Amino acid sequence: MTTPTAKRWEIVDLIANRTVTAGEYKPSIKDYLSELTVKPLTGIPVALAVLYAFWSIFSSFAGALVTDGFMVKLFDNYWLPWIQNVWPNPDSVLYFLFVGDPLADNCFEAFGMLTSGLFVSIGVVLPAIFIFYLMMTILEDSGYLPRLAVLMDGLFHKIGLHGYAIVPAILGLGCNVPAVTATRNLETKKQRFIMMVLLAVFIPCGAQLGIMLDVIPETVGWVMLYLIIGFCLFGFILGKLIPGGNPEILIDIPPYRRPALQNICKKLWVKTKGFFINAIPFVLLGILFVNVLYLLGVIQALADLFAPLFVTWFGVPKETVGPLIAAFLRKDLAVAQLSTIAMTPYQMITAVVLISIYFPCVATFVVMLKEGVKELAAAVGVLAVIVFLYGGLIHLIGILLGVA
Amino acid sequence: MAGNKNKDKEKILMVGNPNVGKSALFNRLTGADATVSNYPGTTVDYTKGMLETSEIIYEITDVPGMYSLEPKDGAEEVALKILENNRDATILMVLDATRVERGLYLALEVIERGYRAVLVINMIDAAHEKGVSVDIYNLQKILGIPVITTSALSGEGLLDLTDRIRYAQASDIELIEKRAKGEVTEEESKGGCAGCGLCGGGCI
Repeated sequence: MTTPTAKRWEIVDLIANRTVTAGEYKPSIKDYLSELTVKPLTGIPVALAVLYAFWSIFSSFAGALVTDGFMVKLFDNYWLPWIQNVWPNPDSVLYFLFVGDPLADNCFEAFGMLTSGLFVSIGVVLPAIFIFYLMMTILEDSGYLPRLAVLMDGLFHKIGLHGYAIVPAILGLGCNVPAVTATRNLETKKQRFIMMVLLAVFIPCGAQLGIMLDVIPETVGWVMLYLIIGFCLFGFILGKLIPGGNPEILIDIPPYRRPALQNICKKLWVKTKGFFINAIPFVLLGILFVNVLYLLGVIQALADLFAPLFVTWFGVPKETVGPLIAAFLRKDLAVAQLSTIAMTPYQMITAVVLISIYFPCVATFVVMLKEGVKELAAAVGVLAVIVFLYGGLIHLIGILLGVA
Repeated sequence: MAGNKNKDKEKILMVGNPNVGKSALFNRLTGADATVSNYPGTTVDYTKGMLETSEIIYEITDVPGMYSLEPKDGAEEVALKILENNRDATILMVLDATRVERGLYLALEVIERGYRAVLVINMIDAAHEKGVSVDIYNLQKILGIPVITTSALSGEGLLDLTDRIRYAQASDIELIEKRAKGEVTEEESKGGCAGCGLCGGGCI
């Protein structure tokens, strides 16, 4: 026995009439501000400014200030020489696993668990994650994100999604794990699938962004451009290919609020704690795993096997196979590993783009599995095709530009 | 939690529209690590926490925000499933004091399904700012369930809420309709008042 919708609203009205009184309401500054940030004419410039500011603060704080200004010096000048000195027997397997290259003079190239592993996770990724979530929290707690969703609605509809998709997209820039869960807010299966594929393929996570800023600061813009173009291009194609509609949806816009300091601190604490527990062990184990594979000659064998694909089709050296295997564990790790391979700038861009798009990391893989086995299988199939096509396309562009 | 084995445990589900401050309230009640956000549909995975009062330990679940019990997206499906799997739970119906109507709609849906519920009118400070006021005495009488106003931001009304969760009531939609129309006898109007003490015992 349920009441029909219209009848229920009738009762709601009756009750509200008897109990709720609305006083006189005059629009406040918040309301004008709200209007300005939602209307396309003024809203789009504001959105561009906000996103640009986000990126500038992110890169200057995480990359320039903390990592280059402080962590690199600390790790390269003090930690690395010290551990290379005290760890016995540079020719041993243990030295290779934990300290890495005895001749390295920086933590990127040493590639041992205790050298590169600690440096990547604490020196590079931790500051990136911290500043990313700080700004993200301010954006969401102030109420700006839903407005951005409204503004993005037009663009996202062209790629088979709607404005809500901006939430998993931005979350994915931090970490794909919450982002995949956030795709549940999308209304249809089609939208969820498209978003999941695009997330897994084209959105680099905070850890990866942080390390890109540090390893290839001058080309990170190109990598991002390729990823954004790929996001739109393949979103458009998938939107056309996958059957099903793309319904309009109402977006609920809460009023602007001043973010509460207590909330910000709490969220930052939760995220940072999560990083220490869930990510750092993965980086360390990842390095260990990759180093063991190197010792066993597995990487060499795989590199030889995939060499034709990598060299002819993608236009990158076959050594990049190793980092691609590491990327399944941690993408930041893989980018760090790439930095030690000799490549032209264009090959570097291609290789980093490949790492971004080639496969979700193991944590993302697991949450995608939770969303559905069939969906995951389909997503993996689709992304294999995308990697092949897009990797080839980037190589082709490079050939046409005469740089590849 | 040692030494509390002889206390009763009860389940509470926090239900409400998105952006009504459920997660903030949840944090206040449990002191847990749930994140507080206000972008669309933050709570897509649910969060659990404990609230301990002098008699009862409550296990509170922060259910993802929803607009109605007819789900439109994955988050609402998760929410509905939680509700259906916990038919005996107490429902904390959280609504935004500036948008009472929308919250009431969902509240009526919940009440119709026979849940014992408490109505929490959150963000009361924002409502006062906007000049909106809610007659909770009357609302309580009409709905037949306890009604409490809170502000998760300032903590106002939180003690009152923890105090009165145990007076949660099931109510009857037909009686609610009659009372809303003013068509009830004195006897019927006594119906579901929650013994909350707000009316000075007059309604019991």
